Amino acid sequence: MSRPLRLALTYFALLALLALTVGSSFLPLGFGNTAANLVIAALKAALIATVFMELRSGGPLPRLVLGAALFWLLLLFVLSWIALRGV
Amino acid sequence: MSDIPVSKAFADTERETEADRFGMWIFLATEAMLFGAILLGYFILRLKYHDAFAAGSSQLSLPLATANTAILLTSSFAMAIGAETARSGALRCAHRALWATALLGAAFLAVKAYEYHDDWDKGLLPALGVFHYTGPNAGEMALFLNFYLASTALHATHLLIGILMVAFLALPSRLPTPRRARRIESVGLYWHFVDIVWVFLFPLLYLVQR
Repeated sequence: MSRPLRLALTYFALLALLALTVGSSFLPLGFGNTAANLVIAALKAALIATVFMELRSGGPLPRLVLGAALFWLLLLFVLSWIALRGV
Repeated sequence: MSDIPVSKAFADTERETEADRFGMWIFLATEAMLFGAILLGYFILRLKYHDAFAAGSSQLSLPLATANTAILLTSSFAMAIGAETARSGALRCAHRALWATALLGAAFLAVKAYEYHDDWDKGLLPALGVFHYTGPNAGEMALFLNFYLASTALHATHLLIGILMVAFLALPSRLPTPRRARRIESVGLYWHFVDIVWVFLFPLLYLVQR
């Protein structure tokens, strides 16, 4: 697949995911709404990072930085969650 | 189309390009910590005051925010086309894509400004002393609206900086094409990151519970 075509397909997928996230918010799913929103946001971010930001073809260093950033964020969120349990 | 490294520290442009990219990604990781800390505060308060956050969220304009999300996703697509065409040497095409990116970014800011104006009229900006809501959990709802203002304003500031950088790159320059392509790629990474930040802000602020 040529790169411009891949960019265009990614763009349309992003718009479809936007429609999905807005549409799903009108269904009464309770906590499912939040879960769906976050999963769709993560999918959109992954598409932007891998295709638009060339994470796959850009060599190992960007992936290393991304992995480190995600690790620190995970630590921040998990430790805060543990610290605030029952508060 | 050969190019020499800008810095003496690099033996060839490939090494330098990789260092450019690495440096920009490290900068973006620090930015992720900044926005991550804000989101952490948001999540903690949302778990505690879910109903007030949902009530605050339903006051915001979903149509404007949805349009803005589509505008920003389109701008990222234009930016990716700009970086791709610049790399292949088609500078005229790249310039057009960069101008489209900058204009779409400006359109986002224009819609956001209109939305802030609307929020002001509805009394939804407690941080600025404009808060008309008197229903239950007004204090917690004010907290949500302060998060809304702080995070969207910080995002808009990032976008404004991005627009200035993209517009600067779209101006005529005497730099060799490969070097310009590298600059466009670096600024593009920043642009896409700002897009990703919005991708998370959008559901967290506008879709709490419709």
